[in-house]
Amino acid sequence: MTHTVQVLVLGLLLGGVYALMASGLTLLFGVMRIVNLAHAVFVLVAAYLAYVVFQALSIDPIVSLSITMPVMFGLGVGVYLLLFPRIETSPRYVEMTVLLTFAVALVVEGLLTFIFTGIFRSTRPGYVTDAILVGDLFIPTGQLYAMVVSLILLSGLWAFLQLTRSGRAIRATTQNRTAAQIVGINVRRTSALAFGIGMALAGASGSLVSFLFPFFPAKHWQWVALLLALIVLGGMGSIKGAVMGAIMLAVAAAFVSDRFGPTWSPITFYLALFLVLLVRPQGLFGAKLRL
Amino acid sequence: MSGIPIIEGPLVREAAPDLAPERPPGTMSRRITLIVVLGLVLLFPFLARPLFSSYNYVMQLGIVLLMSIAMTSSWNIIGGFAGYISLGHGVFYAIGGYVSALMLVHWGVSPYLSAPIAGLAAVAFGVVAGLITLRTRGPAFIISTIAMLLLVLLFLDNWELVGGTDGLNLPLSQLPVEWLKWPLYYAMGVSAIGAVYLSYRVAHSKFGLGLRAISQDETKAEVAGINTRWYKVTAFALSAFFIGTVGAIWGYTLTYIRPVAFLAIAIAAGMVLAAIIGGRGTVAGPVVGAVLIFAVDEFTVRQFGQTALNIVVAGLMLLTVLLFFPQGIVGSLKASAKLPAFLDWD
Amino acid sequence: MALIEVSEIVAGYGVGPDILTGMTLSIDEGTSYCIVGPNGAGKSTLLRTIAGFLKPRAGEIRLQGKRMNGMRPDQMLEAGVCFVPQDKTLFPTMTVGENLLMGGYLIRDRALLHQRLDMVYETFPTLAERKGQHAGTLSGGEQQMLTLGRALMIEPKVLMIDEPSLGLAPMIAEQIFERIRGFGSLGITVVLVEQNAVRGLESSDWGIVLDLGSKEFEGPASGILADPRIRELYLGRQLASKEEHR
Repeated sequence: MTHTVQVLVLGLLLGGVYALMASGLTLLFGVMRIVNLAHAVFVLVAAYLAYVVFQALSIDPIVSLSITMPVMFGLGVGVYLLLFPRIETSPRYVEMTVLLTFAVALVVEGLLTFIFTGIFRSTRPGYVTDAILVGDLFIPTGQLYAMVVSLILLSGLWAFLQLTRSGRAIRATTQNRTAAQIVGINVRRTSALAFGIGMALAGASGSLVSFLFPFFPAKHWQWVALLLALIVLGGMGSIKGAVMGAIMLAVAAAFVSDRFGPTWSPITFYLALFLVLLVRPQGLFGAKLRL
Repeated sequence: MSGIPIIEGPLVREAAPDLAPERPPGTMSRRITLIVVLGLVLLFPFLARPLFSSYNYVMQLGIVLLMSIAMTSSWNIIGGFAGYISLGHGVFYAIGGYVSALMLVHWGVSPYLSAPIAGLAAVAFGVVAGLITLRTRGPAFIISTIAMLLLVLLFLDNWELVGGTDGLNLPLSQLPVEWLKWPLYYAMGVSAIGAVYLSYRVAHSKFGLGLRAISQDETKAEVAGINTRWYKVTAFALSAFFIGTVGAIWGYTLTYIRPVAFLAIAIAAGMVLAAIIGGRGTVAGPVVGAVLIFAVDEFTVRQFGQTALNIVVAGLMLLTVLLFFPQGIVGSLKASAKLPAFLDWD
Repeated sequence: MALIEVSEIVAGYGVGPDILTGMTLSIDEGTSYCIVGPNGAGKSTLLRTIAGFLKPRAGEIRLQGKRMNGMRPDQMLEAGVCFVPQDKTLFPTMTVGENLLMGGYLIRDRALLHQRLDMVYETFPTLAERKGQHAGTLSGGEQQMLTLGRALMIEPKVLMIDEPSLGLAPMIAEQIFERIRGFGSLGITVVLVEQNAVRGLESSDWGIVLDLGSKEFEGPASGILADPRIRELYLGRQLASKEEHR
């Protein structure tokens, strides 16, 4: 029994970070119908950034959030304005975003490999090797802190979307882009803002990832499938769905890992992805992946 | 044109005397191109001998280029004609490579003999995978092909029979060094010619017409009575064959194979990239694209060495094409009616 | 003075053909307009172009003398030009109240915002009754009322409505036309596009007949209704069927 709870807890802890990663991705789809295959590689960019400031300036990775988030926000707005307005009018727009972001992912991965080589990197703050014991439960502090940070950021995101004017604009644009224009929302600016926020969330995830997993440039492809599985399950465009999907799949993967070994845990995500796409493409809460 | 009666008063008169059937313009230049290109491909090993000092390297380039052409033209059948972009086509490459390697290691069958069988194995997998993935469309399909690739990678990495991540060692060819590359080269050549010919035949068939209808508007195609499921799965499976055969041959050139050698995203991306740059949906496009990517790749390696900058350049090229001329080189030229006849094979 | 002036506008979608082929007309303050014409004449396209959803390929659009070509929809709205398209452009998972509040997005002053909201509830009591209901669950007529109510939130100078009666039962459509007729007294210049030409013209002061992307004819709405040539060419079928139902 305790063993099951242990696995469950580990799954939940990880689920929080996955939820954070996925929330940015699903926001991008919701607001702009962009399927961002480059999301995970930008998480890596932030991870490398966190690594660099950790090595050079001994800045704790969680503290580095204050650097990675603004940097990635700016990068996000820049990338959006540079690339996406041009393809807005393409037929098969969503498909184009897949290809476009795929190309971006290749470029960024190449640059990261060129600069940092394929060596596994990670930041090693003290709390990575510590753990808290709650009864018989073993809770690694690193993952606990990451989970807490994720929760705080996700709550912040929720508050922003519900309570601020810009947040309302983002939600409105997500629901009906034309209607948003009709009521006077500048959807171009709202989209850029949403892209920036999505990237900032990726940035935060990167800081957390830097001490949770050893990373190398090609690792992002594993996360791409994982994240897509999460948001497809939760429903693309729904942040609530992303969080639910993250928790469900992370816990499922934890059990798979426990039973069959860690190398097999990614299978949870791939199979989930196929199943959802085939059986209920709109996932739990989302809009259908229309062309 | 001849034989259409024009009703004029009470009489019916033939519209014009019988003319000899007209040749479409450009046929001559197309025939010449075909002869020249085929000649070059067949005679290259002989011509290269006296011309290049680093003979084996040049032969290797030829092998890689022909393989590229075979893969890109094959991909185009599903990705270009049918409009279903698969980023996971590396699985066929891997299946071809591993089926052939296993037959070599366990039963001593020469890859040149097992290549077609490897191709058929890839086709079989294509049917099964196609039946599943092709239930989705557009962006969902692209994502499902990525998942397919990663799934196959995961399986192969963990399967002891094929050596998993430790890889599989293949027995070396017994040929003397100077002739070593020749059969490999010609095997790739046959695959490349086969793939382009297959592409040509599909483009000019009712099947190809149906695929194009599907890529334009699948719902309308369905309504018009086309069995879109059958068409799509067949296209997907057909596109697997030559990718499987070149996978088999390529495995043999490597002599030591691991799953990632076939399933790296960069390889799957390369096919897509070349087809899009050249112009997917055309017959000549993938060939043009493959040659261009090959040239740029070689150039990058010459300038900067074998670094990750290759991917950067590939990605930048894809970005440029997507943003500025998404129909690719051949496609854009065709759209603005500036396509030279020798490239117009549709 | 002319509120909106459109001169020789040429417009089309994507790389497609020109739908508007040199459209010229002017909208004056205080008059209500109805644009009619056969399918494909460019009625919706005209409204979309004025509202900023479509960039004209040639020609000029002026609002109170100022050139407005290429303005974004949100900029046009700030200038007082509100557009209500024919597809459902409500926020489906938001409530009636939330949809109306979104209509007042450009209003920064909270007090004013709520004042307007109360005003809309007064004008449309049905909406007040359903203020907590999700917009997606409303009936066709109620949704149309919500769209109109939402447009009223910013008290536009010009309100362009594309096919307000589309898909509505005749009695409900009647109610909608009633409402629209009342907008004039609120100081809003209404421009309707209506397939139901007769009802549309009956509700308006001035009629504009479009065909093949440009203006064929314009004049007092009652005159157009009465003119036998125009009735035959552009309104014939509807009038005939209306006569049958009498």
